[in-house]
Order: sequence, then structure tokens, then C-alpha cells
Amino acid sequence: MSEIREVRGLGQPLPAMDFAGSRVLVQGIAEPLGALYVPLMQRYGTSIVAGVSPAFGGTEAAGIPVFDLVEQAIEQVGAVDVAVLFVAPYTMLDAALEAMAAGIRQLVLVTEGIPPLDMVRLLREAESTETFVVGPSSPGIIIPDKILLGTHPPYCYQPGSVGIISRSGTLTSEVALELTRAGLGQSIAVGIGGDAIVGSSFQQWLQILEEDEQTEAIVLVGEIGGESEETAARYIAEAIEKPVVAYVAGITAPKGQQIGHAGAIISSRIARIGTEIGSVESKLAAFKRAKVPVADRPSKIPKLVMQALEKRC
Amino acid sequence: MDLLEYQAKELFRQQGIPVLPSQRIDRPTELKGLTIPFPVVLKSQVYTSARGKMGGIRFVENTIDAIAAAQAIFHLPIMGKYPKVLLAEAKYNAEREFYIAVALDSATRRPVLLGSQFGGVEVEAKLSKISQVVVTQEFSPYYARRLALKMGLEGKLLSAVTDIVEKMYRLFTERDLDLVEINPLAVSSNQELMALDGKIVVNDAAIGRQPELASLVATIPDQAVPHALTCSINLVEREGNIGVLCNGAGLTMATLDLLQKSKGKAANFVDLGGDYRHCCPPSVLQDRLKQAFDLITQEKSVKVVLVNILGGVASCLQVAEAIAGFLKWQSGQQVPFVVRLAGDQFHSARGLLAAMDVPVFESIDEAVLEAVKRSAAPATQSVSPPHGASQPAQTGNSPLILASA
Repeated sequence: MSEIREVRGLGQPLPAMDFAGSRVLVQGIAEPLGALYVPLMQRYGTSIVAGVSPAFGGTEAAGIPVFDLVEQAIEQVGAVDVAVLFVAPYTMLDAALEAMAAGIRQLVLVTEGIPPLDMVRLLREAESTETFVVGPSSPGIIIPDKILLGTHPPYCYQPGSVGIISRSGTLTSEVALELTRAGLGQSIAVGIGGDAIVGSSFQQWLQILEEDEQTEAIVLVGEIGGESEETAARYIAEAIEKPVVAYVAGITAPKGQQIGHAGAIISSRIARIGTEIGSVESKLAAFKRAKVPVADRPSKIPKLVMQALEKRC
Repeated sequence: MDLLEYQAKELFRQQGIPVLPSQRIDRPTELKGLTIPFPVVLKSQVYTSARGKMGGIRFVENTIDAIAAAQAIFHLPIMGKYPKVLLAEAKYNAEREFYIAVALDSATRRPVLLGSQFGGVEVEAKLSKISQVVVTQEFSPYYARRLALKMGLEGKLLSAVTDIVEKMYRLFTERDLDLVEINPLAVSSNQELMALDGKIVVNDAAIGRQPELASLVATIPDQAVPHALTCSINLVEREGNIGVLCNGAGLTMATLDLLQKSKGKAANFVDLGGDYRHCCPPSVLQDRLKQAFDLITQEKSVKVVLVNILGGVASCLQVAEAIAGFLKWQSGQQVPFVVRLAGDQFHSARGLLAAMDVPVFESIDEAVLEAVKRSAAPATQSVSPPHGASQPAQTGNSPLILASA
């Protein structure tokens, strides 16, 4: 498998804190998910300067001007830093290609159910344009009290110094809520998405949080299936100085049984090769080798974070 | 979702991948009208790969033998499943058996071509012999040729394998597949290739734009249509006595883990999905909750329902109203609920449900313990509420032991 591992990742991500203060464009603003989450993002202080929804050009949504085409929006409102995409699954590829063609270099794909082969094309284009892509099937990014790029429920979060990286949606919020209740605020939280093919990886976010001055500790929320936890564990051992605490969901799931997330299948889809990869045992062993403490339930995470921070001092 | 062998071969045939003449058999008597000349191979159409070792593949020389063999195969469970269909196929004399596949690799986020000269039933024991080529950019036949070379092929076989890999790749992308596998790809004495067995995994998310695959899948008996297709409520059955409802895959897995840690056993569970399904945004949460409760409580073994909803746009009160509405609508014997909520209007939600004797917790751990406690308690004899906070009457003998209190 060594050849596979050497293929380069996505374009260079920006440091985490550059997301705060971003000028944001929302694609799919007039569609059900967009209509639901745009007001939430606005109330959180996210600066949404334009929306795009084909056939809704010339209208307004939540006081935001709506355009038919991304390039048209940029012509009118000026450059944007991030596009958040709530479009229907089968139009995601087109919408993302459109955003990249218009020069937007950071995309958050929220919608669930994007065909993986569309993601292959989308990410190929993202690599050649050095575009940073989060998701799909993702709650996006939240920097507490600064910006919401996605669907994270704000009540779970408070500003602080713990970074959360997760493959889940509601479980990310659950972990944030546990930390918040224990008095541990968050510097940033991101859901990279639960699908088999996603844009930004655990490693990229580990690197961002390692460099982020606000972040003192990192919580990595994984789940069974795939091998992103194993890869992340190796990366932590090699490159991450800040303390990391992990949690893995699905440890009691029967083998081969898929719960929702397309990526959460223990047996590898690649023709049953390496069936031990993706199992609970494999992930827990990888974290143990990397000396990353693993919480056995979400409510244990705050204690492990505090212990890790104390140990460091 | 997996296709059965005969369906995969139909797609191979359409794509120009060589397959043997074959006939689908729904009943043993259909073998009287067999159009393929004997000798014939009868193959059980099940999803398990190791069917040959279990007697699911038989060679027959004449009609009488064929009918007897078909009857035997129809009555032979493979990993607990009986075949609904058999495939009758011409016999082929393979000199060698190759392995070829096209799959998605989540590490590189690219399709990957896989091939080996050592295919057949032992392929898994020879994993190190499988060559790989990642399709990093737009596909072109040279990727397939690269695989054939890596497999150690040359001359006529190199061209023939390249051609088949190319066709498999086209099939893979045109039909939005997760996996196309030919094992074995038989090589005859005159170096001709034949796909003797095939496996295709259809991508659930893409099936909505693959109408032909959707109708093919619909013809599979007992095959559940993937929920991405309809956004319908998907209930998963287990062996225990606690019904579980959560929102989001990660939270569902975490809740089931906690339940098991506390020695509780799920009877079934529903994951309502995260907050970003295009076809069912949180605005329709209340309707979906009612449907899910209905499904969960239809299972007679469910002694308690554990609800764990972490609210996003939907408030705790909206969830509580859906629960209250369901409990009022559900007359007679009621299954008690234990509820964990987080989000806006938590206290109003708790107040509303407290009036119906439904305990509401802020912490998952506490809700899980309470659900396990109630699932282990002896069955209540009362035919209507109250249940909830008051201790149920200690009447029946519970087979379960109180795990934790």
C-alpha cells in the first residue's frame, strides 16, 4: 500500500484563526438547509455577504442579496473568503466547481449524500487549484463567539483553548457540550464529515491546531471504519507536540454493520483487503502506540484533557 | 449495496466484459427448459463469497441430476440465508485464475485498480501478491496497462487484461459503483479471458440518479432499499429489550456503546440522521420522531425506549411535544420512555414530560443508566400510565438481572 500513501493531499490549508472574520458566500441559500441555517449563522455573527441559488437571482434571503451565479455575486459584492454549500447532493459537484472557478479557495460542504465519484472529481479540482475543502456530510467549522461556517448548535460551545476534530456531526456537539459543562472552552471545532471520501483530513486539522496559538489541547473524535484514526495516530506521534485526547464511537458495533455514516464500515470496501484496518482494536492499538489517551465515554473526555494539560505544565 | 452474481454478470455483459452463457433459475423445474448445453454449473445466488466450500456450487451432466442438485441448493442455507435464485451457467475449463477489481480508496480519495495473477478462492491468503494502481487524474487506458504490467503480464494477455480493466473502470464510473470485482477471471489454454464470478457494490447515495440500477436492486428479494434513496426511517433490529432513538450516526454509535457498557441491550435502534440531509431537514423532525417511535414500539420485546436527541435548530420542547403527542396517541399498554435532551427550552421540555411521568436527563450517562434499570425491572401489570418516575408494580418475574442502579 506504500504507493497509495505517498500521493499528496489537498492544497495548503490556512491557519485556523484566519477563518474568523471571513467574508462568506452561501450556495443553496434558498434551499431547505440553506434557509434553515443561514439565519443561525447570521445570528452568530458570521458575515454572509451574498447567497447563490439558481433562479432566485435578484431576490433577498434573510436580508442577503441572492444571485444566480457565483461569479456574478463576486462581481457585485467583492471577493469572498469562504463558500458554505447547502445545495442538493447531485448538484454539489457543479456548485463546488463553480465556486473554485470563481476563485474561492475555502469550501465547506454541508450536505449529506454526495456520490463518492463526484467527490473524486471535486477533490481533483481542489488539489489543482489549491482549494481547502471541508466535508461533505459535515457540520462545518465553529470558532466560538467568532464565526459559524455550518450547522454546529451554538449552545454547546464557549470560547476557550481546546480544539475539536471529528468525523461526526451531533457527536461533535456532544463532546463540546461535555467540555463546556466542565469549564473547558473551545478554540475551534470542525467536523470533517462521515463519508468515505472527504476533503480535509484529520492530519491537516492536527497541523492547523498545532500551529494555532489559541489551541492548547486537541480532542480527536473518531469512529469505526476507514483508517483515518490509524493514520492520525501515526501523525500525532510524529508531528504533534500539543496534548491530544481521543474518543472512538462504535466500539460495540457488530462487524460489518453500517450505522449511518458511509465511512463507518469495519470491513474495508477495497475488496476485503486488510479487514483488520478500521476495527476498534486497530484504532485503539494505534492510539496506544502514539501514547494518546482514549476516553471510554464522552463524559470522561474533560478529565483526560485536564490531566493531559497538567502533565504538560 | 451488493448485487447478486447474476445481476453483476448482466452488467458485465452490457459492458462487453466476457461472461459465459447463463440462465436465471427461480424454480428447479425450470431446468427442463435449459437452453445451455450440459455440462452445467449451478450456483447459489447469495451474498457470501465462500459458497463453493459450503456446497452452493454443483456441476451437473443432465436434466435429472440438475433438478435434484437445484432442489438441494435451494434448501441449503449459506451463512443462514437460503437462495431465492440460482444461476445455471456453462462449464469453463480454466487454466489459470486472475483477480481484478476497481474500488474506491478513502486514503487517496481516488479510485484504485487491483490485480493479481493468483486469483480464485485463495486470493485473500495472497494479499501481498495484489498489485495496485491509483487513478490519480482523468482515467485513460494507460492506467489499466500499468496494472497489467505490474501484475507481470505481457503480450496478448497484457492487452486482454488491459481491455477488461478499462471496461470495468467505465462500468464503475458510469454506474456510480463502490466496487467492481472479477474473481476469478479465468484464463483458458488459448489465453482467452472469462469472468467466472463477479461482485458489484452499488453506492447507496448515488442510486437516485441510476434508475436502471434502482430497478435492478428492487428485484432482489429481501433486499432493503437504501435509506438514502427515500430518506425513510431506517430501523435496525438487535436482540435486547431497549428501543433506542438518536439523531446522527456518531451519537447513535456512542449511545449504543454506553448502553452496552452498562449491561443494557438494544432491541432495535433508529438513527434519525444528522442535521444536513437535504431531503429531511430538521424542520420535519417532529413527524419523523413519531414515525420512528411507532416503528420502535412495534417490536414486542421493547420494554423501554431511550431517546437521545441533541437539538440543533429543533428545540428540546419540539422534541418533547413529539414524544408527548406519541404517548397520548398510543393507547392501552404503554412502553415507558427515558429521554435525554440538550438544547434550547430544556426546562419547558422537562416540565412537559414530567407531567406524563417521563424522566428527562441532561446527561447521556444518567439517561442510559435509567433506561437499563427500567429494562431490567419486572414487567408492569398496569395497562395505562403512570409509568415514569414511580416504581412499577413488582409483579412479573423478569429474566433479567438488575445491572446497575
